[in-house]
Amino acid sequence: MSRSEDVLLMVSHVRHKKVEGTLFLMGERLAWSANSAGERLGVSHNYADIRSQKISPEGKAKIQLQLVLHTGDTCNFHFNNPEGNPEQLKDRDAVKELLQQLLPRFKSQVNKELEEKNRLLQEDPQLFQLYKDLVVSGVITAEEFWTNRAQTKQSNAPKGSQDIGVSASFLADIRPQSDGCNGIKYNLTADIIASIFKTYPAVKKTHAENVPHNLSEKEFWTRFFQSHYFHRDRINHGKDLFSDCAKNDEKDLHKIIQDKVKDSFLDLESLDETSLVKDEGYGNKSADTSTAPKHSVNQAIIRRFNYHSTMVLEACRNKRSPEEDILSLGLGGSGDNSNSSVWSQSLALGPPSKKARLRDAISYEDLGESTATSAPPLSLTGADRYLQGPSAIQQGEYTTSQDIHRATQQVKQEIGGYQADLPNVLPSSLAASVTAELSPGGVLMQAGMQQSLKELIPKDLQDELHSLYAALAELLRHFWQCFPVTTPALEEKVVRMRETLRRFQTTKMQPFQDKLRSQHLPTNLTDHLTEMINNAERKFSTWSKKRGGRP
Amino acid sequence: MKINIDGLLVLFPYDYIYPEQYSYMVELKRSLDAKGHCVLEMPSGTGKTVSLLSLIVAYLKTSPKDVCKLIYCSRTVPEIEKVLEELRKLMEYYEKETGEPPNLIGLALSSRKNLCIHPEASALQFGKEVDGRCHQMTASFVRSRHERDPDVPVCDFYERFDALGRETLLPPGIYNLDDMKDVGREKGYCPYFMARYAITYANIVVYSYHYLLDPKIADLVSKELAKNSVVVFDEAHNIDNVCIDSMSVTINRRMLDRCQTNVEALTRTVQRLKDTDQQRLRQEYSRLVEGLREANVARETDVVLSNPVLPDEVLQEAVPGNIRTAEHFVGFMKRFLEYLKSRLRIQHVVQETPASFLKDLKEKVCLDRKPLRFCSERLNSLIRTLEIADLTDFSPLILLANFATLVSTYMKGFTLIMEPFDDRTPTISNPILNFSCMDASIAIKPVFDRFQSVVITSGTLSPLDMYPKILDFRPVNMASFTMTLARPCICPMIVGRGNDQVTMTSKFESREDVAIIRNYGNLLVDMSAVVPDGIVAFFTSYSYMESTVAAWYEQGIIENVQRNKLLFIETQSAAETSVALQKYQEACENGRGAILLSVARGKVSEGIDFEHHLGRAVVMFGIPYVYTQSRILKARLEYLRDQFQIRENDFLTFDAMRHAAQCVGRVLRGKTDYGVMVFADKRFARSDKRGKLPKWIQEYLSDGMCNLTTDEAVQVSKKFLRQMAQPFRREDQLGLSLLTLEQLQTEEMKKRAQQTAHQAFMT
Repeated sequence: MSRSEDVLLMVSHVRHKKVEGTLFLMGERLAWSANSAGERLGVSHNYADIRSQKISPEGKAKIQLQLVLHTGDTCNFHFNNPEGNPEQLKDRDAVKELLQQLLPRFKSQVNKELEEKNRLLQEDPQLFQLYKDLVVSGVITAEEFWTNRAQTKQSNAPKGSQDIGVSASFLADIRPQSDGCNGIKYNLTADIIASIFKTYPAVKKTHAENVPHNLSEKEFWTRFFQSHYFHRDRINHGKDLFSDCAKNDEKDLHKIIQDKVKDSFLDLESLDETSLVKDEGYGNKSADTSTAPKHSVNQAIIRRFNYHSTMVLEACRNKRSPEEDILSLGLGGSGDNSNSSVWSQSLALGPPSKKARLRDAISYEDLGESTATSAPPLSLTGADRYLQGPSAIQQGEYTTSQDIHRATQQVKQEIGGYQADLPNVLPSSLAASVTAELSPGGVLMQAGMQQSLKELIPKDLQDELHSLYAALAELLRHFWQCFPVTTPALEEKVVRMRETLRRFQTTKMQPFQDKLRSQHLPTNLTDHLTEMINNAERKFSTWSKKRGGRP
Repeated sequence: MKINIDGLLVLFPYDYIYPEQYSYMVELKRSLDAKGHCVLEMPSGTGKTVSLLSLIVAYLKTSPKDVCKLIYCSRTVPEIEKVLEELRKLMEYYEKETGEPPNLIGLALSSRKNLCIHPEASALQFGKEVDGRCHQMTASFVRSRHERDPDVPVCDFYERFDALGRETLLPPGIYNLDDMKDVGREKGYCPYFMARYAITYANIVVYSYHYLLDPKIADLVSKELAKNSVVVFDEAHNIDNVCIDSMSVTINRRMLDRCQTNVEALTRTVQRLKDTDQQRLRQEYSRLVEGLREANVARETDVVLSNPVLPDEVLQEAVPGNIRTAEHFVGFMKRFLEYLKSRLRIQHVVQETPASFLKDLKEKVCLDRKPLRFCSERLNSLIRTLEIADLTDFSPLILLANFATLVSTYMKGFTLIMEPFDDRTPTISNPILNFSCMDASIAIKPVFDRFQSVVITSGTLSPLDMYPKILDFRPVNMASFTMTLARPCICPMIVGRGNDQVTMTSKFESREDVAIIRNYGNLLVDMSAVVPDGIVAFFTSYSYMESTVAAWYEQGIIENVQRNKLLFIETQSAAETSVALQKYQEACENGRGAILLSVARGKVSEGIDFEHHLGRAVVMFGIPYVYTQSRILKARLEYLRDQFQIRENDFLTFDAMRHAAQCVGRVLRGKTDYGVMVFADKRFARSDKRGKLPKWIQEYLSDGMCNLTTDEAVQVSKKFLRQMAQPFRREDQLGLSLLTLEQLQTEEMKKRAQQTAHQAFMT
């Protein structure tokens, strides 16, 4: 073993590419080694690299397991336990089960990292350019590039991950598959289970109560799918584990209805002035209503859909904190949903807000006076900062309005009582010469000439220079970070970085300088770059001399 | 802006105006000048209310002799509140322009439930309970008892109002429901009675249809309104049904059983009173002998429902002798009740006229027509005499007495239908007696006769000539306005076939067809994939929706819908539906998008708007014909044919199309709004259906869009929605569908307005 890792599972008699070997499942990776080749490991994959696993269909002679990697490669293992088919199956299933548990953990990690990196690159074009210059052109590896970005990344990452919503059709997506012999198979994934728990807290509760002491995980879900609860359209016969859930749901539903809709615009019951008239007996009964028996199966289905949608909606909402609610109201939504924030308030509406809504309902935006021109949408990376203003870096830096007031008072006073200190004033001739020197063309303003460089150099060259600076700065940052060199790893890196710098000089700087020359532009543009590289070079040589002297 | 409408200076509270608003005001002005009734159709979301209010307020102010009051009737409570807010806005504008607030009072009247501020009564959940509780505390005998015994609870707010409130009038201003409550709290007056009193002197009254159309309530509330008022029925597309409902009665077995207990309770009370306080009964009797129609002068608080017949039908003579004494009257009611019970013990359907019913009544139990006509008033008098506080308990008996009065008063335009069971559940015995009004004009006739101008207006009144027919009045003016649009913001289309070319229809014979149900489902799935935010879909009836949803569930269509959007479904319980609606809006707000399955003629289709993203598409699954097997409907159709020469099919189609238009109109609430309207039934393409859609929808329904397949429909919607989602600025509209004052005054525009007005007149 090259690294000491916990071996979670070891299965022998596993063939890979027709070679007999042993499969190891370890903390972070999966490995297979051929029996004959001794020490050397044949295959090793980090879990993070594995996209999914596939197993050979039941009834096939060969019991196999296939790993699909993110790269698209596959890797087959053939379970070949000499004790026969059942044992092979058992081996395979053991591996499968364990992988099933392990993979999602790493998967989310990988995905998150990748997503994060992707996001960073997309959001920051400069970084993307740098990435192209350094990584794509092979100057440094992607890993090196990102290790240094780690801190910035961390600080950029939004606090608290965003919750994934629940798909409305998640129950329907659990498609039962018939296995050909009067059985039905449901495929459950961790996501689906999470969705079920999120949407139906009653099931979660039952799960917590019964698993694992009363039932096994598998048994629980089997019962769930068999239950009346899942197939709400079937007629309920007898009690099962979930009859309580159904009752609770019913109660919930009742409560929601009892709570009543506070919004008088939506409350159908108080919409009409029918308290007197539509009383029992007055008026014609409408032909459509009344007749059907109250709790037919169809109505149960309809109520279930309503409840389901309600719960899905709730599941997504619960997680949001009230502050975020406000935030989403204030900043979210652009364009034509101008009255959106008004509608979404399901809270009790007191008269003032009711009045506001009435006003809103009757106003014609296009008839009224020209409203404020719509500003470009505000896109914020850190909404917190926007809402709270710049945070105080140093305590006490801030001045209260009182201080400011006092200060202005003071200034006013001083100005009011100002008297020129005539003896110390410069003579006018001297003042004139100083002004002349400070005006354009004067001795002190010669640096100003360089501004014309901007016009002198074409835009594409400027851009190139810009990216060169960025790339070099990045490389130098890597380089200087190695000092003081304390570990062998750093030592190695310093040497590598110097190599990289050299390569940079030859592959990037040289062509650029050539280009400048060919366009008859002053090459001193790159002087500063060269100087920086030389500095690094010098540092390296002193360091290597020192090191050479030490051992 | 200040506009000159035909010589009348109208202050319009906005800087811009839609051309159709201008035309609308011109037409309205014409009708008011002619002192006649009119029918005006203008698409929803084009500012109908504000145009109406601006013009009529200007009229009120300039010629108060011609028009002294505006009575604005709307349908729902939120609607009423909206009107008041528009009015308030207008008044603010007046104040800004003229420097002083206009000397007008505008107020809303609603039921006790919405106005009560009594801590106990207002906490009750149902309107009926609030009414009952109020009656218990404010009835005149309760109050006189309170004088003797201060422990008897009365309502302090009413006491205060009764003592002081009538002397001082409300200061000028606009009083919405909440404002009334605030004033009530501040002064300690009862807002409900204050409002009821205030409508006699207010300039603008906004309340529900029923306060004018239902004789039981109108008699109490709207008795003293001046003749030269303008009455506006907004959202009036359903007005005939309101009229009919207000005159109809339905009695079932359970109701009769409760009547039985009422009668028994009444007998006991009379007996007790006889033993203890015979004086009172004798007093009532002698008063009735003296020829007073009612034994006591009814105070406003004593009666909850007045005589159910129209004022001109109420007999102005003394109560006949055989029901004058309390005992005799209770016996009379008992006999009537027994008779009805025996009639409901039937095995087959009976349909008869009121005349034959009365004849049978006379033969079987010897009850005359005349005393029957007094039943309702006699019962009210008795209840007062007996000092029964809890009126809610006696509602079945009051209903019975109302029925007796109605059936003996009206010989024409009504029918009696007794059904032993519902046709769809023939095994369950559920006898019902329907006393049904077939003629909408009966209830509204006094309104037309009494007030000088009645304006019937809505977004969907097509075809216009139907309303004067069924309401039996002669309008001086009828006009339908289209919507001028700078961009085609509605996209109506008729989807007649599924992708498999199978015809889509909700025709009764084929609606259970699996292929049709599946095609409907696929249409919904496909639309849900391309339409952002909210989609509303309407079915023709609850039962059809239930069976279709169940079929979709089995076919796996629901799953596919759920993949795209959350699904909410209207149920027959209003409370459940309210919750579903709220969640639907929430889902649209937070970006998930949702679908609401609803029913035409249901509560949602009548009262809820889905503006902007709450409804980007509406799908109409089938033509919402009324349940044609209903005997009440059949009787009405027959009546309409005989009396008004309206063919059955014409009326059915008219009724179906106005509901369809109502449903699809829910999604478009203004010119900045936009939405797809899918009519998913082949039959919509036929000219008799298509021609009955409102003009503003017809205009945008080109021939090429009349028989699309699902795929084509999805493509069209996709393109439409993409186009519509582009920013829409005022400049795009200006001069076309939005005018400034200068633009309005140009000759060309004036000509155009005249032209549209003229066209409208021709229709």
